[in-house]
Amino acid sequence: MPRQDHPILSAHDLHKSYGPRPALRGLSFSLEAGRILGFLGPNGAGKTTAIRILTTILEPDAGHFVVDGISSEHPDQIRRKIGVLPENLGFPRQITGIEYLTYFGQLYGMEAAQARDSGQKLLEEVGLQQRAKSLISTFSHGMRQRIGIARALINSPAIVFFDEPTLGLDPRGQQELLALIQRVARERNTGVILCSHLLGEVETTCDDVVILNRGEVVAKGTVTDVIREVKQDALRIQVPSRSARQARKVLKTLRIVTQANPIAEMPGWIRVELAPSADGTSAEQYQVNNTILRALIRAKIPILSFGTEGGRLQDVFLHLTEETIQ
Amino acid sequence: MSERAERLSREGDRAAGRRRARAAGRPTWWLVFSRELADLWIGGKALNLTLIYSVLLGILTYVLATNSELSLIPPKEMVYEMLKNAMAVSLFIALIIGADTLSGERERSTLESLLLTPTSRRQIVLGKFLAGISPWPAAFAIATPYMYVLSQGDEVLGPAILWGAILGSVLVPAYTGLGMLVSFWSNSNKTSYFASLGIYILFLIPAQLPGRAQTGATGQFVQWVNPVAATNHFLSKHLVNYRTLAEFWTWLTSPVVFAVVVVVLLFLYASPGLRLEGGKSSKLGSYLKRRTGLLLIACFIFSLGASPALAYQGEQPQAEALQISIDLDHTVVKTGDKVEFNTLVTNNSSGASGPLIVAMNIINLNAQGDVVDPEDWSPERTQYIDSLASGASANLEWIINTILDGDYMVYMVLIPAPGSREATSQPVASSGIHLTVTPFTRLNPGGVLPYAIGGPLVVSTLIYLLYRRRRRDVDAGAVKTDIKFKIAA
Repeated sequence: MPRQDHPILSAHDLHKSYGPRPALRGLSFSLEAGRILGFLGPNGAGKTTAIRILTTILEPDAGHFVVDGISSEHPDQIRRKIGVLPENLGFPRQITGIEYLTYFGQLYGMEAAQARDSGQKLLEEVGLQQRAKSLISTFSHGMRQRIGIARALINSPAIVFFDEPTLGLDPRGQQELLALIQRVARERNTGVILCSHLLGEVETTCDDVVILNRGEVVAKGTVTDVIREVKQDALRIQVPSRSARQARKVLKTLRIVTQANPIAEMPGWIRVELAPSADGTSAEQYQVNNTILRALIRAKIPILSFGTEGGRLQDVFLHLTEETIQ
Repeated sequence: MSERAERLSREGDRAAGRRRARAAGRPTWWLVFSRELADLWIGGKALNLTLIYSVLLGILTYVLATNSELSLIPPKEMVYEMLKNAMAVSLFIALIIGADTLSGERERSTLESLLLTPTSRRQIVLGKFLAGISPWPAAFAIATPYMYVLSQGDEVLGPAILWGAILGSVLVPAYTGLGMLVSFWSNSNKTSYFASLGIYILFLIPAQLPGRAQTGATGQFVQWVNPVAATNHFLSKHLVNYRTLAEFWTWLTSPVVFAVVVVVLLFLYASPGLRLEGGKSSKLGSYLKRRTGLLLIACFIFSLGASPALAYQGEQPQAEALQISIDLDHTVVKTGDKVEFNTLVTNNSSGASGPLIVAMNIINLNAQGDVVDPEDWSPERTQYIDSLASGASANLEWIINTILDGDYMVYMVLIPAPGSREATSQPVASSGIHLTVTPFTRLNPGGVLPYAIGGPLVVSTLIYLLYRRRRRDVDAGAVKTDIKFKIAA
């Protein structure tokens, strides 16, 4: 069912402390239907606290949020609008896939038959229809995550929270699960919040991103905008260690290069800072790259690796959370 | 938002929840109850604990029946002992299941999914609570045939079943609720089980104290306050000693009050605040809890080892001119056999004697052997003679039921009754009977063996059938390979 344009989730100035230690300081953001928002931050940044507040497991000390038009003052009603795949998802011991989904469907107020039908459809959607009558205890980790997703969707939620869904999965399993999450957002027009440590998967899967550090939002917006905002004019070049000194000399002769320094503890790597263009913006990237590459080739220096710095979400994340990580 | 508006909003939420539940046909507590029931009884701990329980009752029945063969325990007392032990084990099961209910869900990461549904916390707790007390009817049903066979047709069976059902139905929910309260504030099962075990022992200690500690005003009060001890006291008096409900109803106060307090605490105070994290405690608190638990266990072990006070030994009075002889000097029998003998009391004095008392005593000749309680060995260990004329004799018949194997000496003591309060007398001892008792045990005392073995077998069969039925319904093994699904383009 297509949803309206207004944000499906909007959080306003959420605060939470555990004793004297603040865990969340003024979290505000919004999410529209059909979009995937990546929730990033180093360990202890407040991600889990934020997710638990937004899923009504915890109460905020201050601030409020609205899910599909329902205020956080009505947690019972909000729970009907959300689906959650928690980071640690356990299952009853003696329960089959279809029994599990039927049970949760009934807890959301469905008749048994209706819950069973919905369960069957969801099992098909997540590719587990042939294991409907198998005990979940016999499922692989990937299959458990998929049935967890099916359970999160049993109430046709307006918004789904995925907390580290790909943790412990092999690369193929990760790829399959992320594709499933994208399908959930696109085909069901559901808002999705994806909490993950794997920045690559967030960059490729998410439309928007919120980066938390020490309980505060340090960046938010579309993935492209966030990357652009903190993008630095710098390159990273790898040459053989024996050629590194010569390469730095060559690079320093170029007008577009302001600095060419070795990267600590990475032999052969050089960080090249570029001069801003006259109008205050960086020169066209490809022209700069070509100039540098030409100079190195002309000096007969082998180039092992070449890339822009700050062009990936990972760089942005490391830059914004540098202090915490250090 | 004003307080009133907030309250109205909450009431609106609750009303909506009730409407949904009605629309769906089944209240959510029923769904949680059904799910928990399946979890407990299909391969869960209720099934395993019930099997262990039935084995324990089987052993207990056999032991009691063996004692019955030796005329040690009358049927009334055996039924009472069986009921008391069945309830003690049932309470332990209730506490263990209750203690796992919430902290176990936290540990297994299944609680969060449940808390994320619109189901009210109280309904979740209610469903779990009802499932938690489900082993009690099964446990009582298992205990009933054992009580029947031990009653040996005695009229005690009816009241035992009635009062067992009533008092068990009061105490089991209370213990389940207590376990759940502990579990409510515990983050891990380890903490929850440890604290619950401590509580269980705390309630059990007064019943294990030496007899003297259970009497007197303080001892009686401690018994009265303790719901388990009070229940046992009531059952003992009512079933064994023919005392009426009117005389002893006050002993039912503490079990009832205890049950009401626990249930009120669980449903009105604790359950609305059910959350993902258990109650947090300081390191000091945790340390103290552990130490308290250890102390309680130590107290329990100590109380088990406590021995009754030493018997008082009075001064030996004097006697003369009276003789006592026995018509048996030695015999070898098997345990359970009866030994019959006669004693002859003769008055050799020139005048008539006063009243005489003849007492039988039995001692174990083995210094390391068990101390003999003559009351257990003989239905009548003291006989009285009004008077003996000069030169007259009196023949007395005695019966001994041999209970334990070993080497014993049986001897008689003739005691002239003292003439006044200020006077004393000199007892005269007879020669002894050297009694050698060799072991002998009937394989099927009182015909209980079929019940003792049959009970656990029936439970095991039920478990097997339950498993078999479940396996028909599910694809239980990981027989199929992981099904890959297509990634959407």
